[in-house]
Amino acid sequence: MGSTGLPRFSAMTDNADDLYRDVILEHARHPRNAESVANPHKRARASNPLCGDELEVTLALDGETIAAIGVQVRGCAIAQASTSLMSEVVLGKTLHESDALGRAFKEMMEGTRMELPEALDSLKPLEAVRQHSSRITCTLLAWQALGKAARQEG
Amino acid sequence: MRQNSTAAPSVATIRGDFPILQRQINGRPLAYLDNAATTQKPRAVIDALVNFYERHNANTHSGVHTLSEEATALYEEARARAARFLNAPSPRCIVFTQGTTAAINLVAQGWARHHLRQGDEIVLTVMEHHSNLLPWLGVARETGAVLRYLEIDGEGRLTATGREGGGIEGAVSRATRLVAVTHVSNVLGTINPVKELARQARAVGACVVVDAAQSAPHLSLDVQALDCDFLAFSSHKVYGPTGIGVLYGKEEYLAAMEPPASGGGMVLRVERHSYEWMEPPWRFEAGTPNIAGAVAMGAALDYLDGFDREMLRRHEIELTGYALKVLGKRADLTLHGPADPAGRAGVIPFSVGGVHPHDVVEVLDGQGVAVRGGHHCCQPLMEHLGERGVVRVSLALYNERQDIDQLAHGLDRVAAIFRNDR
Ligand SMILES: Cc1ncc(COP(=O)(O)O)c(C=O)c1O
Repeated sequence: MGSTGLPRFSAMTDNADDLYRDVILEHARHPRNAESVANPHKRARASNPLCGDELEVTLALDGETIAAIGVQVRGCAIAQASTSLMSEVVLGKTLHESDALGRAFKEMMEGTRMELPEALDSLKPLEAVRQHSSRITCTLLAWQALGKAARQEG
Repeated sequence: MRQNSTAAPSVATIRGDFPILQRQINGRPLAYLDNAATTQKPRAVIDALVNFYERHNANTHSGVHTLSEEATALYEEARARAARFLNAPSPRCIVFTQGTTAAINLVAQGWARHHLRQGDEIVLTVMEHHSNLLPWLGVARETGAVLRYLEIDGEGRLTATGREGGGIEGAVSRATRLVAVTHVSNVLGTINPVKELARQARAVGACVVVDAAQSAPHLSLDVQALDCDFLAFSSHKVYGPTGIGVLYGKEEYLAAMEPPASGGGMVLRVERHSYEWMEPPWRFEAGTPNIAGAVAMGAALDYLDGFDREMLRRHEIELTGYALKVLGKRADLTLHGPADPAGRAGVIPFSVGGVHPHDVVEVLDGQGVAVRGGHHCCQPLMEHLGERGVVRVSLALYNERQDIDQLAHGLDRVAAIFRNDR
């Protein structure tokens, strides 16, 4: 018995429910746009050596518009789901629009912005990650790679 | 829980010594299983810190007033206490440092970079913590010495021969000038044969540095029996405060060492263009030291040595065996490290099939279970194991079967959340 006398095991609900919502788990298991784009116009990587997470974004452009996106990620469920959700959102947007969305998302996760823009509604399930400060970087990795790709020449 | 018939305190009594174990985490009693990162502190250590600041606080050395004399005496008593903890021949062999990392860097900067040359060999193991690796990489870069790594077998036991089941004949060569080895692996829990390594090193005249960060809490240390030249440990891993630790060095080695840091408190006499250092160990303690930390570390060593260490070790082996049994039954886990519970010092690393260590740790935290996931500052070892990270359970004297049961319950939760058929 624990010295507090409290039960150590009880019903299976806790804050993991909040973090690992079904949408997140579903995206982590079945990531969208997971095939890398053949002959991409742009390509960039991002990594978090602390977690060993690695990610690569490939883009095909139609003018300024993202016509195809591929993202390969090796990482935790939060990183995988964030990546998949991002890829859905930015497909069909211009690089400029995506960049603005990325900034809005980062501000929201880091707590300097209260509300997500409507275009990011599908990323709402990630809001719970804000309560877990060590995991916030996991949600930003894909956006970081996308920003890097967008800033590339050519 | 096994009851000992002698006067040995029960685990429940021991738990009562640690105020933090009363805490709830996410609505559950805390099952603290991250002891290899840092241990919790008993009331006696917390009281020693408070008592020092409430009753004896002053700067040490060369103060003539009463408080300064008291503070100096307490600080030097702590040095003697650390010497007894290690069975060092004299308190003069004990240098206070900020911790293990600082202690190893002190040997690297103070001794190795002045005594190693081009082509000299530094022998390490593939399981070294970055703190016992990067300082030697630095020395190698500066001096032209080369690093050579001892490998491990399938159970994480050191092998110099490449054979399964260990065997460390021929671990050193004629070119070996320094052997820097961890006594206990912070990831695998493996207990390394440092005494035998030291014997081999002695035969070729190499210096032996033992990283005892993970052995100090679990095994009785005897630097004379090990016959090492240097040994380092951190207070915070033996139930003491953070920010203080010990470098033990043989007197002849300390005498041959240059102080990498200089300033107040380490000189006898300073003139405009010359100076004269104090003797070791004070020569290596420039600036105002962590006086309260040293005193409270002394209280931690009193606390730990107040137990029958053999009895603690038996309890730990028994609990490790229980954990290995409970975890070994789970088809979703891959365990690393020695199969024999007595071959490891209360550390059990594992991975959960298809689930990132940080997701495992997060879900366990939701169940009040504190463990650590990641590379544990052992990237070369992770590469050897073919893992990017692992989850690590590490035990202390206050852990009990309930903690392991709570962990198992948490792992059920991990399995339920990350089940692949959803
Ligand atoms: C084997 C080993 N060596 C060295 C260290 C570094 O100890 P500290 O951070 O207290 O300096 C640790 C602690 O994590 C360790 O486990």
